[in-house]
Amino acid sequence: MSTQATVPKTVILRKNYIWTGTRSVAEAVKIADVDVIAAYPIRPYTGIMNDLAKMVAEGEFHSEIVVADSEHSQFEIAKHASAVGARTFVGSSGVGLAYATEAIAVTALGQLPVVAVAGCRALDDPGNFGMEWNDVFLFRDFGWLVSWAKDAQEALDMTLVAYRVAEDRRVLLPHFVAMDGAAITHVSTPVETPTKEGATEFLPPYKPPFPLDPAYGAVTKAQHIAPSLIGPEQRKLVDFSMKNSSVVIREAWEEYFKHVGRQYSPFLQSTFMEDADIALVSMGAYTKDAIYAAKKLRDRGIKAGVIRLRYWRPFPADELRNALQDAKALGVLDFSYSMGSPDFTGAFFTDVRSALYQVGSKPLMIDFVLVGGREPKVRHFEKAIRLVQEAAQRGKVTKIVHWLTLRGEDV
Amino acid sequence: MTALIASVKEVPAVDYYTSGRRTCAGCGPAITYRLLSKAAGPNTVFLGPTSCMYVANGHQYLTSPYAVPWYHTQLGGGGAAGIGTAAAFRALMAKRKRKNEDVNVIVYGGDGGFADIGFAGLSMGMSYDYKRLLFVLNDNESYANTGIQASSTTPWGATTTFTPSGKVRRIGNVRLKKNVALTVAAHPGVKYVATATLHPPLDFINKARKALDSAGPSFIEVLTPCPKGWFFDPKDTVGFAKLALETRAWVSWEYADGEFSLTYKPRKFTPVKKYLRPQGRFSHLIDKQVDEIQRMIDDEWKYWEEMDRQKRIILPWTSAPNRAIVALA
Repeated sequence: MSTQATVPKTVILRKNYIWTGTRSVAEAVKIADVDVIAAYPIRPYTGIMNDLAKMVAEGEFHSEIVVADSEHSQFEIAKHASAVGARTFVGSSGVGLAYATEAIAVTALGQLPVVAVAGCRALDDPGNFGMEWNDVFLFRDFGWLVSWAKDAQEALDMTLVAYRVAEDRRVLLPHFVAMDGAAITHVSTPVETPTKEGATEFLPPYKPPFPLDPAYGAVTKAQHIAPSLIGPEQRKLVDFSMKNSSVVIREAWEEYFKHVGRQYSPFLQSTFMEDADIALVSMGAYTKDAIYAAKKLRDRGIKAGVIRLRYWRPFPADELRNALQDAKALGVLDFSYSMGSPDFTGAFFTDVRSALYQVGSKPLMIDFVLVGGREPKVRHFEKAIRLVQEAAQRGKVTKIVHWLTLRGEDV
Repeated sequence: MTALIASVKEVPAVDYYTSGRRTCAGCGPAITYRLLSKAAGPNTVFLGPTSCMYVANGHQYLTSPYAVPWYHTQLGGGGAAGIGTAAAFRALMAKRKRKNEDVNVIVYGGDGGFADIGFAGLSMGMSYDYKRLLFVLNDNESYANTGIQASSTTPWGATTTFTPSGKVRRIGNVRLKKNVALTVAAHPGVKYVATATLHPPLDFINKARKALDSAGPSFIEVLTPCPKGWFFDPKDTVGFAKLALETRAWVSWEYADGEFSLTYKPRKFTPVKKYLRPQGRFSHLIDKQVDEIQRMIDDEWKYWEEMDRQKRIILPWTSAPNRAIVALA
């Protein structure tokens, strides 16, 4: 077998680079010494696979890169390689993710710690390559962990942390790292990589509990079982693992700080919240623009804060409730939509509102829908802050949903 | 290399596909699974796309008939499951994370899983050069698991629940059976392709061994008579396998390292009505329609004989059933 020749050792130098999000994630995959990678092209995530293929071709590290025939195959390949005991990497965007949905569902139920990176993209038609969250939101209910990066550096860090959390025996669930298409995938920013020692200490090799390998005996996995026998219990196992993951995520980010030296608050990034009357809540790359807008309006006396969720599954409900208990009104910056949902809002809004239903003094809430892939500008976020401020002053919300980037009448 | 087996007495006594299943009485696919497991031995991973051989093989009381590792894959995931599993072994061995040895990766899928929804995946599988990667299509000529629906390997004229015979549409299935093994043979990297049925058992066992030893991706399409789908008495399963060969309704061949050969040539041709008439799925056909099937078999056989003579593959062609005869009731 030709692959028996020389297996290059992964070489990692701690250094500063100017990298896109896709290039940064590829570096994380190399650092994690991933064994099997399954690739299929779709913009905007594809660059990760291009870079990985080049790295392997140049001997920077050794990995089995499979060029798949579809996203469904991609995710099935990763699932089955993971079952044998390989560390795996996969990813996609938009309708590609939709095509892989079946495989994505069973990967969680099989409790296999596959790590996938999604470059968020609108679900077609007409070939929309703009950024929306609805592709990743398809997998809201499956048992995948989902973290949401704000920039290329965090995408790299989150990918490494994803392996550690997913492979933890208390979790053993697959993990998406979402990064907003174009805004992160294709924008170059300064990125710092960890040292090899730091990365190795942080992320030991994957040891599966029951490898699908004759060397470890006969394992029958996912045989057809009557739902009356173990149906609810199997769902409960995934549920239990997901609940466990919060503790593991906290630990992992503490360890990451210890070994790699970059510190993050695990679930939320709060900005200007100390004295904020109103808040914007969001995820991902555009939070930076929202912070810029909030800063600008603070100079004009509007005390606005910004909260960024770093994880969407598990949803940091307690943390969000604590962070928002004093807020009078808040706006949700929502790159998702759910046609026909209660009050015709986005799916992200529905989650945030659901979490805050438990808060004694419920804040007023407005959903700012940013769908269809048209890129928002700072003025859109300023408008959002002003509308939330108005609602806080009046003590009521007159219009619950605003499509900020829409041209024409917002009917 | 695993040696070929010269007589039934030398077939390994140990089964790696054993009790703990609830397949139907007279199940053809279960017989071939057992033969396949004997051929492959213990250092094997089986993968099962959704099919009868998923649903009937581990059920209800957390039982499993597999004495080697086995994992389900989605109906269209057979190709990907084989590649993913093989890729993991290859990577882990190359990176010294696992002992370096030969591990068989065998995907045992049905005609739905390989001829229809997983056809593209099977094609991808045939391009992956893991040296012990075998795809076995157990062809019982319908989606039997879901209650006998037509697949693209259901023969012309058969009734299924999706292609019933009625007052207006008499014939049942009007699509011609897809020849999956020939399409697989068209993949340049494939070292070994064969068709077989569960009789004679040594033929299938040895084809499986040749496939696994072929040092590349390989494929066997094995005809597996199905009492429920074909509507015959469960005691006759093996008899129908024999009849399929003797009537040439099923052609047994292999294509090894670019060389074609017929592996069963009936000394005298049994009329196809002897194979068709005892099967309930063909009971609505009138004699002229059965004769038309005979005509198609005779036409096609000339191509198979020519291939055997030339030791190379020629695409067989036969004209579709005569419309006037199809219309007869």
